[in-house]
Order: sequence, then structure tokens, then C-alpha cells
Amino acid sequence: MQQLLTTALGGLTLGAVYAAFALALCLIWRSTRIVNFAQAPMAMITTYIALVIIDAGHSYWTGFAAALIGGLLLGAVVERVVVRPVEGKAEINAVILTLGLFILIHAVAGIVFGSRYRSFPAPFGVRGLTVGDTSIALTGFGVFTVVAVVVVMGLLVLLFRYTEVGLRMRAAAFNQEVARILGVKVGRMLTLGWALAALVGSLSGLLIAGGSLVHPAYMDSVVVYGFVAAVLGGLDSPVGSVIGGMLLGLSLSAVSGYLGSELVPLAALVILMAVLLLRPGGLFSHHAERRV
Amino acid sequence: MQRTRRFRRATRLVGLLTAGALLAACGAGGRPDDGEGKTTPDVGITDDTIKIGGHFPLTGVAAPGYSEIPSGHKAYYDYVNANGGVNGRKIEYVVKDDAYNPTNTSTVTNELVLKEEIFGMVAGLGTPTHTAVVDFLNAEKVPDLMVSSGSLMWGDDPSKRPWTFGWQPDYMIEGKIIGQWVKDNMPDAKVGLFLQDDDFGRDGEAGARKYIDGQIVETVRYTPGNTDVAPQLAKLQAADVDLVLGFNVPSYTALSQLTAMKINFKPKWFYSNVGSDPALVGSLLARFSEGKVKSSAALLDGVLTTEYIPGVDATDSEWLKLWQKVWDAHGAEGELTNYRIYGMSQAYTFVQALQAAGDDPSREGVVDALEKVGATLEGPGLAPFRYSEESHLGISGMEVVRLKDGKGESLTPVLVTDIGDAPITEDDSAAKDVPPANGIPDVKPAS
Repeated sequence: MQQLLTTALGGLTLGAVYAAFALALCLIWRSTRIVNFAQAPMAMITTYIALVIIDAGHSYWTGFAAALIGGLLLGAVVERVVVRPVEGKAEINAVILTLGLFILIHAVAGIVFGSRYRSFPAPFGVRGLTVGDTSIALTGFGVFTVVAVVVVMGLLVLLFRYTEVGLRMRAAAFNQEVARILGVKVGRMLTLGWALAALVGSLSGLLIAGGSLVHPAYMDSVVVYGFVAAVLGGLDSPVGSVIGGMLLGLSLSAVSGYLGSELVPLAALVILMAVLLLRPGGLFSHHAERRV
Repeated sequence: MQRTRRFRRATRLVGLLTAGALLAACGAGGRPDDGEGKTTPDVGITDDTIKIGGHFPLTGVAAPGYSEIPSGHKAYYDYVNANGGVNGRKIEYVVKDDAYNPTNTSTVTNELVLKEEIFGMVAGLGTPTHTAVVDFLNAEKVPDLMVSSGSLMWGDDPSKRPWTFGWQPDYMIEGKIIGQWVKDNMPDAKVGLFLQDDDFGRDGEAGARKYIDGQIVETVRYTPGNTDVAPQLAKLQAADVDLVLGFNVPSYTALSQLTAMKINFKPKWFYSNVGSDPALVGSLLARFSEGKVKSSAALLDGVLTTEYIPGVDATDSEWLKLWQKVWDAHGAEGELTNYRIYGMSQAYTFVQALQAAGDDPSREGVVDALEKVGATLEGPGLAPFRYSEESHLGISGMEVVRLKDGKGESLTPVLVTDIGDAPITEDDSAAKDVPPANGIPDVKPAS
């Protein structure tokens, strides 16, 4: 019982991080129709920015805010400088570019921040709660992680469903020509989409780093699991991403605890294949009518 | 089990095939032939230099700590070079980063052997990594000395891998010594094993089970790279484990401590030597100490572990004084650490091996010399080497210590044993070795 509870709660917090990352992928997909593989190292860089600020003696939250703003700017810059030149060409060009960016940012981080492990602080306790004799493997920071992800998901749903900017972003992503004719400033919408996605990505970076160890490759496994979570949720739906992330976190934690940690990547791939075979649009995709 | 073994065999085969193909491709190169019937010196050695190489994780998951080992080697070789080298030859140490990834290890080893043309591999680090290249090195007849890993594979069967030598105590004898100590001192403890999922964990487990098979109530394994160990520790917690025996690398010591905090798991901890460096683990944990301890090294207070060479905490050891002198004069940036001392201690043994091989060492000569006189070499190790024609395993024993303020307090004399059913005996003889005044060994040629 205790083991089940601990494994489940651990899976839930981990799932929240995958969810945050899936949200970022989903956001970029919704606003630009490409998948950004550089999301992980971008989040890693902004987490390091936070770490440098915190190590310089500032509070956790200053670092936290700086990382999010850094993410916003980094996303916008990457879109303007790197992705814009291949805009209008085959989508695969942009995807491959993000892969190149993945390697580049990694190398730069290694040079600038060094490759050793460093511990990253958490704003709330890293000690689990105890109720009576049962220990609840949920730390203050774990609660914060889950709450933060749910809030971000809510905001994204609101943005896309109820605001004009959200509508324009979707229009720009769906069909640039038509959107342009309708008066949508497509370029600006794409930049905004990237910036917001990078911001959410940074958040996932901070959430997984909190109370643990970071090094330049610490986000690499998250990119794989986040991608699986996003596909599970349908790449298109913020709610789907979050549920996909949580489901994945729970399943992988159970696999690791009851079957063996060496099977975790395999389990993720099995889930990915099963989803692609049975429901290629994901569990929560609403746009089957669009496919030709 | 079977699957992993077959997989490993397959990787080895692929590695061998690749290496073979590469060799065939550059078959025209090779040893220069002066055509005058004079004995040609071996690859990598000239009248005034000898070039050796090593693969280390300078980046990635195993880099903390381990990446410092080559800087210890370099500092000691620089010190020897500054004092005239070995028989007039300066030692050049080429270090390549494999990021603890066996695929990279194959690549960089090919580079070292075929492009850099090293005389020998010295202190290549890691069980999974070195496994990928050990057959290649033996097929190429490249001396493969002092592998930085305690796997049995480096020395239990010299007929199979005649060119490879271990250095540190292997994980099986460490497991035995730990197991016996637990049996004698904590006979009622419910023991849980926290193991790295490879030979490191397996050998350690096999050793420990020789003594405390009945006490072990749960075994969990982590895969290096997967930093979420909560499910594993939850399993140990569920089995009511009150002593966790960890055969893991340092970053996983930190992760296991952090995770235990998260899930309110408070057993006693016994980490094998590999994962227990208090300075390194303490620095990783310092941020989470919640202000309760004075120094970060004190975060591991009460943790049990083992020692087989004097480290930074052995302040009155003559060896430490030598290492400090060497590091001050030739070290890179940073403090002297246990990992740098480990590197320097290995470098000391390599210099001894080179001296034992005579004025004009050949690759074969070094290996022969180690087999002949290896067991008599005096060095920083607390116990003697086991080198002989029958065994290429390294240091034969260690002592059990309890950490306090970053220092190990001895709980036992030096305990010496061998693999298999060899008994554990007390032997303090090698612990009394002191370095020569000039800090450079003076070993007579073996033949």
C-alpha cells in the first residue's frame, strides 16, 4: 500500500513535468505546425540562467521569473533568427533546424556552464509529508509542480478558446494565406507562439530541476517522454497534453517500481507505438475531419 | 540475465567487427620498418617519450568526480617528467571523453590506438564503457593497465584477457568484506540492496550474498541515466529495510539521499567506496540540508563505507603529503580531491610498472613485469596487489569506515581477501608503506 501510494505520487509529480513539456510542444504545434526538438535544451539554458541568478544571492523567485522571461525572449529570438528563414518551405526543414539547435545549445551550455552536476534549489520543502504512520511522498514542491501545470493548462485553454489573439494564432497556424487575407499578422503570431511555447518549456525545466540535480543533458529524457505525452494527448489539445503527461508519469513510475527501471524507455516506446497504431490522432484529438 | 549477456556478446562482436574493418582499412600503415634487423621499439615509445591514453567521462552522468581522475594522473606524470621522467622518457597522457557511453568508448579507443598510437591504455574508466573495448585492446595486444573499475573481468581470467590488469579492489571482494561486517555487527538488520544495473551491482551483490544472503529482504536496481529513483526506494521502504547497501556511483548517492528525504525513508546507509566521496556528495546535497549542518561533508555523517587508499581526510599520511606537494606544483585548477588522489595513486603504480619493465620497455615487457613483481610493489594501497600469472586483479583489500565530518573513522583493520571462497583475513602490512623521499618510486627491472 505504502509502495503503491509512493509510486503513484512520484509518478504524478513526474507526470506533471512531462505534461508541462508536452504543453510547450502542443503550443508550438498549434501555433506553427512544427515540432520543436530544441525545446529541451532551450529549457535547460533558461534553468541555468535561474541557477546563476540564485547562486549570485538573489531569491529563488527572482531566478524563476528571470528564467521564464529568458524563455520568452529566447523563443522569440529563435523564431525570428533561425526558423523564419525557412518559413514557407517544407515543414521538415524547420524540424531539422530545431534538431541542429538542440546540439548547438547543448555544446554552448557545456562550454559556458560546465558539464558537472549541480544541485538546484526548491522554494518549498523537499521533505515528504507524514500523516499519522503513513508517509505521503508528496513534497511542497511536488504540490507546486502539479498546481503550476494545471494553471498553465487552464490559461492556454482560455487563450486559444476565448481570446482574439488565440484565434489569430490558430488561424495563422492553420492556413497562413487565408489568415493573411483576413488581416492576421502571421509573422507576429508565429513569433508569439514560439515565445509562449519557450516560456512553458522553461517552466517545465524549472519544475524538473527543483530539489534535484541539473547538468546540460538533464532535460534530454524529458524531451522523449514529453513528446510521447504530447502524442498521447493528440499534440493539439492542452488538456490532452496534461492528461497524457500524467498518464505517462504514472505508468512509467509503476513500470520502474514494479517491473524494473531498465524497462522505462521501452515502456514509453510501447505506449507511443500503441497510440500511433490505435489512435493516431491521440486520445484527445478533435480534428479528425481535417485529415485528408 | 541471459538476454543481457547475449546482448553484451553481440555488442562486443559488433565492436570487434568494426575495429577489424577499421584495421583492414588502414592495414597499409602500422609499424615503421627500418629494414636493418634492429629491434624496432613498440608503438608509442621513443627514446625520450612514452605516450599512453585513457578514456574518461569528462561530461555526462558519470562526470561528477570521475572527470577529476585524469587531472591527478597528469599532475603526477608532470611531476615525474619534471624530475627527469622514467629512464629518461617523458610520459605523455592523452585523455579522451567518452561521456560514459560505450559507443563513444569504442570510437575514442580506436582513435587512441590507431591514430594517437598509444603505447598502452592506462586507467580507462568504467565497467560498461571499458567492456566495450577490452577485447579490442587484447586483440591488438595493447597493454590495458589499471582499469578504473572494480569489475572482475579485468583480472579473474588472464588467459582470456592477458593484456588487461585491474587496479582497485574488485566489487566482489568489497561485497564480501561489507557482507561479513554487516553479519558480524548488524546481524538483525533487514538489508536492502540498491544496485547499479550492471556488473558493478552484480559483483557487489554476489560478494555480499556470500555472508548475508539470509538478511537481504529486497533488491532494487537503477539504470544509469534515469534519475528518478523514487520507485526503487519506495520498494525498499515497503520491505521495511533498515540498512541500505548501495553499489552505485556518487550522483546516485546524492539522488538516493534526496529521494529518501522525499519519501520519509530513514534507514542506515552503507555505500560502497565508489559512491561515497563525502566532499562530492556533500556538495551536491548542501543546498537541501535545510541549514541543519555546518559543513556540507557532514551531510553523510554516520554513513558506512570502505577505503583502500589514503584520501584527503588522512591528514597525517605521508602519501597525502606527497600528493599535496605534487598537486601544488603541477595540478590544474581546483583543490586536491579524493578522485585526483585516486588518479595519482594509479599513476604511481604505472610508473612502477614502467620501471619494472626495464630500460627499454616493450608492450609485452610491461605486462610480464607486472605479473612477476606486481604483488611486491609498495604503494599507497592499504593492501597489496594480487598481480600474478594467474590473476590480474588489483588491490586485495580495504577497511570499513564510518563517515564523520567528511572523514572516515576506521571500524576495522585492513581486511584482505580474494574472489570466490577465499577467507577474509586481517593484513595491515601494506598500509605501512611510505613513499620515497623524492616521491618517485624506484623499482628494479623485473628481469
